[in-house]
Amino acid sequence: MNYDYSAYYVLLSLVLFTIGTVGFIVRKNAIVAFMCLELMLNAANIAFVALSRRVGNLDGEIAVFFVMAVAAAEAAVGLAIVIALFRNLETTESSDAMELRL
Amino acid sequence: MPLVFVILSALLIASAVGVILFRNPIHSALCLVVNLVGVACVFAALEAHFLAVVQVIVYAGAIMVLVVFVLMLLNSKTEERTLSGVIQLVLSGIIGGCLVSVVGPFIIEQWPIVAREEPPISGSVEALGKVLYTDYIFPFETAGFLVMAALVAAAMLAKTKGGDPNHPRISEGKNDGTIQAGGEQ
Repeated sequence: MNYDYSAYYVLLSLVLFTIGTVGFIVRKNAIVAFMCLELMLNAANIAFVALSRRVGNLDGEIAVFFVMAVAAAEAAVGLAIVIALFRNLETTESSDAMELRL
Repeated sequence: MPLVFVILSALLIASAVGVILFRNPIHSALCLVVNLVGVACVFAALEAHFLAVVQVIVYAGAIMVLVVFVLMLLNSKTEERTLSGVIQLVLSGIIGGCLVSVVGPFIIEQWPIVAREEPPISGSVEALGKVLYTDYIFPFETAGFLVMAALVAAAMLAKTKGGDPNHPRISEGKNDGTIQAGGEQ
């Protein structure tokens, strides 16, 4: 007999997502903010996998696969932006980048 | 509540809190590695074996190497802990706690714990590959194009301005394609 604990996993995903959101708001360093973004994506992935198992088809796991692809693309572009920011302003703090035009 | 869930959730929450509380970005990144491996363990516990492996390879391998590399390249300093920062942290923590305590009961209510007779679906490579290459072949190809475009965009963003001799970095005569970061302090 298997028990389905998907609600607990969704709850865990909610907690992790909230922690990621709080970190994204609080931290000033752009790279740490980016890491908090990864936390939020992973929290969503946990919910996807848990509910995919609950519903009984693989669509949720496919969604996680695409989230990972998008996260990889986002990591490349985001870190390139941070490097460009550092090269122009000598800082990685997101609050120092106040002008659109560098 | 299964033991594996308790252990994994404790590990995940502790490392996630570590990411946002450590002031040194390198410590945050190491906490994030623990968190990502923990998420891979959650996938394995949910019998999504392929995703667990991909999580370790893509996230804990590729993305975190990139993040740590950029952190060391840019020589990020430890953040100062100011009073307003602590107030922000406490306030947003309270708001986050409220969010969890409001939404949480709905989740428990929505998906109650049930016993199920049939074995749950398996996220093996075979099963996932079959769905990915039949029903989801077009999104799969699109994701390939997206990653390609992101790669080109990242190269364009990170490259130095080559054609402008009056650019301060180039006129110094030090720029041989590498990014000037942290080396001048």
